[in-house]
Amino acid sequence: MPIRLLFRNLRAHPIRALLTAGSVAVAVFLVCILDATVRGFTAAVDLAAQNRLVVMSNVSLFVNLPLAYQQKISQVPGIAQTCKFQWFGGSFKQKKGGFFAQFAVDPENFQTTYPEVGIVDGSYEDFRRRRDGCVIGKDLAAQYGWKVGDTVPLVSALYPRGRDGEEAWTFNVCAVYEARVRSLDQMTMYFDHAYLMEALDLGAAQGQKGVGTYSIKLADGARAETVMAEVDALFAGGPQRVKTTTEAEFNRQFVSMMGNVPLLLRSIGGGVLFAIFFAVLNTMMMAGRERTRDVGIMKALGFSGGSIAALLVVEALLLALAGAGIGALLAKGVEGPVARVVSMWAPGFAIDDRVLLQGLSIAAVVGLVSGMLPGLRAARLLPVHALRQEA
Amino acid sequence: MTEPAISITHVTKTYQRGGETLRVLDELDLQILGGTFYALMGPSGSGKTTLLNLIGGLDHPDSGDVVVGGDSLTSMSAGELARWRADHVGFVFQGFNLLPVLTALENVELPLLLTPLKKAQRRAQAERALELVGLTDRMHHKPRELSGGQEQRVAIARAIAVDPAVVLADEPTGDLDRHTADQVLELLQRLNRELQKTILMVTHDPVAAGYAQKAIHLDKGKLGRIDDNRKATVTAGH
Repeated sequence: MPIRLLFRNLRAHPIRALLTAGSVAVAVFLVCILDATVRGFTAAVDLAAQNRLVVMSNVSLFVNLPLAYQQKISQVPGIAQTCKFQWFGGSFKQKKGGFFAQFAVDPENFQTTYPEVGIVDGSYEDFRRRRDGCVIGKDLAAQYGWKVGDTVPLVSALYPRGRDGEEAWTFNVCAVYEARVRSLDQMTMYFDHAYLMEALDLGAAQGQKGVGTYSIKLADGARAETVMAEVDALFAGGPQRVKTTTEAEFNRQFVSMMGNVPLLLRSIGGGVLFAIFFAVLNTMMMAGRERTRDVGIMKALGFSGGSIAALLVVEALLLALAGAGIGALLAKGVEGPVARVVSMWAPGFAIDDRVLLQGLSIAAVVGLVSGMLPGLRAARLLPVHALRQEA
Repeated sequence: MTEPAISITHVTKTYQRGGETLRVLDELDLQILGGTFYALMGPSGSGKTTLLNLIGGLDHPDSGDVVVGGDSLTSMSAGELARWRADHVGFVFQGFNLLPVLTALENVELPLLLTPLKKAQRRAQAERALELVGLTDRMHHKPRELSGGQEQRVAIARAIAVDPAVVLADEPTGDLDRHTADQVLELLQRLNRELQKTILMVTHDPVAAGYAQKAIHLDKGKLGRIDDNRKATVTAGH
């Protein structure tokens, strides 16, 4: 019966109940999305491979390293494989906003260095054989409707002329990959670094030669600190000094380039929650005041202040949790599309159990506190005063 | 039944209003006999409702003692008073005071939640109470779907659901027309005669007071006269 009374009270003001639960739903939805985005930023750091290092210019990430460095790096003991990585900075002009990440890599070493890139369509062998071949992420293929065998024209600000002297570079889709780890996005294109260099050598293409970073895969048992020190020492005398870091550290530096974006996102989430908390509190205070006479009746019948307060607290908790459930379901529902949109800068975006649990916990706290204030008031109310209230 | 069910001894109750102290009950002494139907009369501000609230354990006196059914209410805490009310007293209010979101049956069942009865027993007892007030056919209706008289009969059913010895009614017919008021008063009379309930009813209405066996008159917080309607009737009959 108390449960029935509780639900009847909620149903007595259906619009108010819906709006309150709706506001909590919106808040929890936003908090889940923002939290998952922030976690997505840092997932690249948290989930970085332990056996990979990154070599970059000691000056800046934007300064290319000489091509000849790869062979020297490969000779350092403890290194199993090296792979070039060069940012291309292209976009698909045929579609508005057609920007996504492209990297020129070594097809020979790329897959063995990055085993988390799992081919799900086409052939990696074709990618290795074909100079203009490329491997694209599953989400990228889905977004632009590209499939194996398609030719993709891209225009790059860093390499303003293609191999044929035309504005666009053309790539042939040889394979589609799927990420085997959460920290890898599925919105990137990888193509042959040699294709880029050949075009520059031919003179038709324009742009800077070199390599942005070298990725190193450590041999089994190799110590990262020793290898990093040896690689750095190798080029200490020039012509260009390098800085070797673990993949986790490299990703951390990359994330820190975003400055206070995670803090900003968390602040927005906190602000929304705070506003919703006051909205729910106000609603529950109103509901509590409206029921002053009912409180008086129940007290006259012999119900204790505590049991009446508990009814109000549970009612607020139910409203908040119902809203939180809807918000969490909505967030889970849009997880896929949002993950595709944010995957380039937050590849680890996922509405996982931790994110959902956090959203539900916050809603539970909002519900509890919102119910406790009117509950305490009801508990303290003298029955004679409560019964005097006009119905 | 002539044992005093309620004993009021030197009870004083004051209220603060606008910086002024109002002495609503002033050293009041009163004995209420068990199984008797009393009307409590007097002008506005004479302390009728305040006395009813003290007897019902809804409020504490400033001084003096209120003993109901052998229990002294004066020293009880708020929690003890709540438990005591649940077992010993039923209330009927002028404004009916039913919970609008519950049906008639659920309203009557509400005080039974505080008893150790199981769900089926509670339901059966609530149905019996509604049957007693003649509302079996309206038990699944909500208060807004009932007439004023029906609402008050539901309130009476709720008041007797836990089978209390004492029923306190504060202007139970104040919001009803004459015909409906008579039906409600006859019902209270039946509860007193057939179930031996001690009934204390606050009223301004001399006709309503005529249904009671005794009429207590209060004036400025002090006891006035007590009329014995039975004797009056007998006298008139002679």
